[in-house]
Amino acid sequence: MTGAWSRRALPLYAACAYLFLHLPLAILAIFSVNASRFTIWDGFSLHWYRAMFADRDLLEAAANSLIIAAAATVLATAIGTLAGYALWKKASAWLAGSLYLSLVTPEIVTGVSLLAFFQWIFRDLHLRLGMHTVILAHVSFSVAYVVLVIVARLRNFDPALEEAALDLGATEFGAFYRVTLPYLAPAIAAAAMLAFTVSIDDYVITSLVAGVDSRTLPMAIYAMARRGVNPVLNAVSTIVVAALGALILLSERLRAR
Amino acid sequence: MNRRRGIDRLRAWFLAPAAVLMLATLAIPLAIVAAYSFLSRGAYGGVEAPWTQENYTRLADPLYGGIFLRSAWISLIATAACLALGFPLALFIARSGPRKNLYLALVILPFWTSFLIRLYAWMFLLRDTGLVNTVLLSLGVIHAPLALLYNQGAVILGLVYGYLPFAVLPLYATLERQDPSLLDAAADLGATPARALARVTIPLAMPGILAASVLVFVPCVGTYIVSDLLGGSKTVLIGNLVQNQFTSSRDWPFGAAASMILIASAVAVLLTQRRSREELL
Amino acid sequence: MNRRRFLHRALPSLAALPSAAALLGSCDTRPRLNVYNWSDYVAPDTVSNFERPSGLRVRYGTYESNQEMLAQVLSGNSGWDIVFPSADFIGPMRDLGLLAPIRHDLLTNLDALDPAFRHPPWDPELAWSVPYMYGATGILYQRSLDPAPRAWADLWNPRLAGKITMLDDATEVFGACLKKLGYPLNSADPRELRAAAEEARKQKPLLRAYLNAEVRDQVIAGDVAAAQAWAVTAAQAIAAAPDRLVFAYPAEGFARFADNIAILRESRRVEAAHRWIDYLLRPAVAASIVEATRTATCNGSAYRLLPDALRSDAVLYPSAETLGRGEWFAPQSTAAQRLRDRLWTEMKSA
Repeated sequence: MTGAWSRRALPLYAACAYLFLHLPLAILAIFSVNASRFTIWDGFSLHWYRAMFADRDLLEAAANSLIIAAAATVLATAIGTLAGYALWKKASAWLAGSLYLSLVTPEIVTGVSLLAFFQWIFRDLHLRLGMHTVILAHVSFSVAYVVLVIVARLRNFDPALEEAALDLGATEFGAFYRVTLPYLAPAIAAAAMLAFTVSIDDYVITSLVAGVDSRTLPMAIYAMARRGVNPVLNAVSTIVVAALGALILLSERLRAR
Repeated sequence: MNRRRGIDRLRAWFLAPAAVLMLATLAIPLAIVAAYSFLSRGAYGGVEAPWTQENYTRLADPLYGGIFLRSAWISLIATAACLALGFPLALFIARSGPRKNLYLALVILPFWTSFLIRLYAWMFLLRDTGLVNTVLLSLGVIHAPLALLYNQGAVILGLVYGYLPFAVLPLYATLERQDPSLLDAAADLGATPARALARVTIPLAMPGILAASVLVFVPCVGTYIVSDLLGGSKTVLIGNLVQNQFTSSRDWPFGAAASMILIASAVAVLLTQRRSREELL
Repeated sequence: MNRRRFLHRALPSLAALPSAAALLGSCDTRPRLNVYNWSDYVAPDTVSNFERPSGLRVRYGTYESNQEMLAQVLSGNSGWDIVFPSADFIGPMRDLGLLAPIRHDLLTNLDALDPAFRHPPWDPELAWSVPYMYGATGILYQRSLDPAPRAWADLWNPRLAGKITMLDDATEVFGACLKKLGYPLNSADPRELRAAAEEARKQKPLLRAYLNAEVRDQVIAGDVAAAQAWAVTAAQAIAAAPDRLVFAYPAEGFARFADNIAILRESRRVEAAHRWIDYLLRPAVAASIVEATRTATCNGSAYRLLPDALRSDAVLYPSAETLGRGEWFAPQSTAAQRLRDRLWTEMKSA
């Protein structure tokens, strides 16, 4: 029976797909505790983790990534939520178009355009590339993602609720704050998570607009990956995956509550 | 009337930050790149007058046309693969009932972790002395290591692995919103599950499919890390060309011209895929 | 309601994060020095041994090619204080106004330099740079290869297809091609350059990848059979796998390079920069770097401190007769540089 076939084939396929998605990372984790630096198992060892924590520049890059992601997330979520709400109230072709453009513009183009822009204005301002330029760049490309999530959530929102609030004497801002915003809360959290992920993972744009003191974790990872296989990189990968995994589990817990 | 004005004012205030941001970080930078594309290259880099069309005429050379075609071709294959692999997975998640969120989280989890790390994982697996070759050699299936890395196939694999979650999420969003009673209706009318899938589910999911295609195709066309790490900087795609001109080759005007072409194709996609745009925004 | 209150409390604390971090960052109030160097060009303790007595905090970044360094530095606003350009970049960087003059009165160890590098052709008065390490470009290959690739032409051998790499550097690749064709290394003749580009284009399908120092680990692992590599990279690789790897100075001729320490004009810490240079010139420090990284040092006093095994290393210190086949890279005229860059882009894009 076709029904039974699809009932078994689909989950089987899904299992294979999940394996495809997760196995490479699992393998990295396994080899991060391999004593040998080659692909032959040589015994369990935490040696590479120790090497990783001893690398001062790597830790600094990780700290930079966290700071940038936190700042960019807060700003992008705030700006994006307000913009998403405003767009839902009444469409604005220009803003929607430019947000979509920022989504579809390839990262390399965003990166070089921001680099050209910064170099051009910095010539006279005697500023240089640094954390602030990276944060600005990250906010710029994250906002579109935030707006996406907010608008998607607002599609299921009944505008009559706000009308009712206004009828009852609330100001426009009060209606937004007391009625719509609480409804948006889960979407705001989701959008913030999305903005955080996008920011902490960005390599292309960051590598172009980062200065001397704003080296991020992806930049460090890329430099190591370019030099070939590096067991310290296996350790770094495992920790990053584990940390982000814990974060998403936590966020799911919070959302379910 | 007052209420209308009040709402409009609120809306203007709310739009302002985003508008200023987009102006400063999208409109003006792109305008600068457009301007650079018509300038000339300085002796060792940078830009200077005179204004010229030379960068675009250089790009018209079939050599660079080849790069554009290659990028588009690779992206098409990767997009098709993502759709083919992602649709059944999205379908499974949408129909999985109470554990939907768990399965979705399992897709999002690799998407959450670093894109770079996931690419590196494949470098680790595909090298001549990587796990795949070591296993195959020890099993006696092959006698010399296969050159799995540093070719176009590796680049496509990297793209698919990287962007599969990008395809699954919009597909899931569309499929989840579909009214299950439609499938009941199809069954009542005598359709087999396969037929219902082909005639009801997939056509209704078209906006999501288009959205997924856009979300995968456009980043693939502009990709640069994947071809750099997995292609051995031998496979030059548009993204590599642009990155190169803005860094080691220091020919900013030429890189700017290539960027403009890339943006033009992105905008073309935007304009032709109006339905997918409405789906997203 | 609960969620809203959670957000209310979460948002301000999230906003406090960056400010807290900035405060933490500014806790380290030591004056800074930003050094941008080639990868694997100092010993593991070189930087920390400088930081302690000098009280400076060194931010140490690395790059893989001169072009990568120049691209960052060209803006005149990069934030770096010290860079290590190769000899052929000193002239152009000076002409572009990127370098600060070297003050000999601030350097006490200048006499430690080998006499051969006291008046180098690219900077006879050492007014803009101080020589650091030198080397040459040759072929690093697996001993098991038969016949052994001892000439550039051998890297075009179809039997090695998929296992050859070349440097990801226009000057180096075209240099090899020019020598293969018997032309001078620094040719500016468009005809010769185009012929060289044609050779590179013919070689490209045989190549595994274009890699600089990154190739070292792959040669050690055996993924690569023959690589165009710098003597430094080769020495490091051979030290890791002495019985498997060999380095050859190609028969047709090869490129010699010297990396120099230079201070950027944009630097506001010129005195600290000089202290760093003086530190690197100390014979003991230079010797420890050589022992850790297998480089060939321009520091004569340091050379005398090296163990015999290193001093007689044929890879780092070849015979005079071998060195005679080498040519120094010279800076190119604007037109020649533009042609080379263009040919490189075209070749890579094919």
